[in-house]
Amino acid sequence: MKFLKIEDEIKFSQKMFKLKREIENFLCEEGYLNIEPSLLEEYDEFRDIYSKMDKKKTVKLVDNASDILILTPDITAGIVNKFMSKWEENLKLKLFYYGKTYAHNSVEIKEKRQMGVECLGEKNKNTDENVLGTAIKVLNKYSKNYLFEIGSSKFLKGLMQSCSFNKEDYINILNLIYFKNKQELKEYLSKLPYKEAMSTLLNIFDLEGSFEEIIKNLNGLYMNDLMKEGIAELSKVNEYFKNESNKIIYDLSLVSELNYYDGIIFRGYIEHSNKEMIKGGRYDSFTEQFGFKIPAIGFSIELDELIKTLYKEVI
Amino acid sequence: MGLTVAIPKGRLGEQVIEMLKSAKIGESIDEKSRKLIFEDEKNNIKFMLLKNSDVITYVENGVADIGFSGKDMIMENNSDIYELYKMNIGKCKLSVAGIKGKKIFMEDTILKVATKFPNIAKKYFDSKGQKIRTIKLNGSIELAPILGLSDVIVDIVETGNTLKANGLEVLEDMYDISAMIISNRISYKFKRKEIKEIIELISKEDECND
Repeated sequence: MKFLKIEDEIKFSQKMFKLKREIENFLCEEGYLNIEPSLLEEYDEFRDIYSKMDKKKTVKLVDNASDILILTPDITAGIVNKFMSKWEENLKLKLFYYGKTYAHNSVEIKEKRQMGVECLGEKNKNTDENVLGTAIKVLNKYSKNYLFEIGSSKFLKGLMQSCSFNKEDYINILNLIYFKNKQELKEYLSKLPYKEAMSTLLNIFDLEGSFEEIIKNLNGLYMNDLMKEGIAELSKVNEYFKNESNKIIYDLSLVSELNYYDGIIFRGYIEHSNKEMIKGGRYDSFTEQFGFKIPAIGFSIELDELIKTLYKEVI
Repeated sequence: MGLTVAIPKGRLGEQVIEMLKSAKIGESIDEKSRKLIFEDEKNNIKFMLLKNSDVITYVENGVADIGFSGKDMIMENNSDIYELYKMNIGKCKLSVAGIKGKKIFMEDTILKVATKFPNIAKKYFDSKGQKIRTIKLNGSIELAPILGLSDVIVDIVETGNTLKANGLEVLEDMYDISAMIISNRISYKFKRKEIKEIIELISKEDECND
């Protein structure tokens, strides 16, 4: 058997270089400015701002002063941490970055190449739509068989609030939603004191597909103000992208692994690939812990996955 | 855009194939042949027969769109999939068992647990505040306490006959287990209608098992 030759490695490197440069050029044209994310973060500081961080998975280093550092597990959190401490009012930033994230999986340290976009401080009529549009254009550039999926963390958060679960139930129920496990969700809820909002929760797996399907299936279900706000945001997005409606799907049970999102959240998929290509959402409330809340939305592109689809299309 | 379906070999698989055939799907499947891949051209579905513990791996990695797997395997592997439908077949319990009438905790504060499911055992005993050392075995788990390899076992219990025959008894039931239809997360986005259709057909057959 022959393993990879130097020639193959250089070929891969050229492909990655080209892919990166294409997307970088495109993001420059869209008006984003480049920044270089930092590789190292302070462990304690990062843990405080980014509570969802899986401590066991972070790759730790110790510096001369015996302080613990980590290789960055999340570039967005790093950028926000860096800028928010010296944020100036009315500042508007449209940024993009290329960087690597690090995490232990069960066997080794996993390095991921990511490119991403962050739009900080700006929220006018169409900010969400513009950022989504940029993400969709990236997908469309590399495959015609893509799907763009949109959910609302406001809707889900509002729904969970109305059910007033304790912490343990909250985590377990969110987990069942993540796995789309309808029967076990029903069993779990049947053991808890009844709340009207649970009727919506039991039907949450029907709230997926086209926006029209969702509106139809929402009919008659319980909704509070935060949930309605979430739906209104999706409705606006749906109106804006109505020409691409066959590529856009909605899923109100979309649970983000990161709890800092509030507002629309989205994913980009390419057919026959097995990972999400694009992940993102609005995360205003994440900035709030630095003392003031600024509008913030962004997404990341998984370059290691995207390049695989390019190889596939050549074959 | 056809579907690829992973079916486990063995008794669960036989029950699944029977249900599929009675729903007029996968009529070309022949478990007795040595072939492992079967095509149903009429319904545009490809079936693959796999070792039961591999079904989840094929689904998670997108080689199969959906698959049939026991909840025990799903819990042990902690895989990133969708658990779309809980079936009425493959029902059993995951339980802690030990030698009948014997006091456990002989010489240590750490409980020795022999099992095929070290992750489930760890999670369960963690939640109970009990320190354990897991001993991973691949079969004949019942022997471990008898031969002094472990204090207790964590295993699948269906009728309890195997335990009884080996002088063991259930000390505690941990989780209810049944077969589930699982799906790859990305496949579900692109083939939602097809996947929901086949689940609908199977669930109709499955309701007769309740």
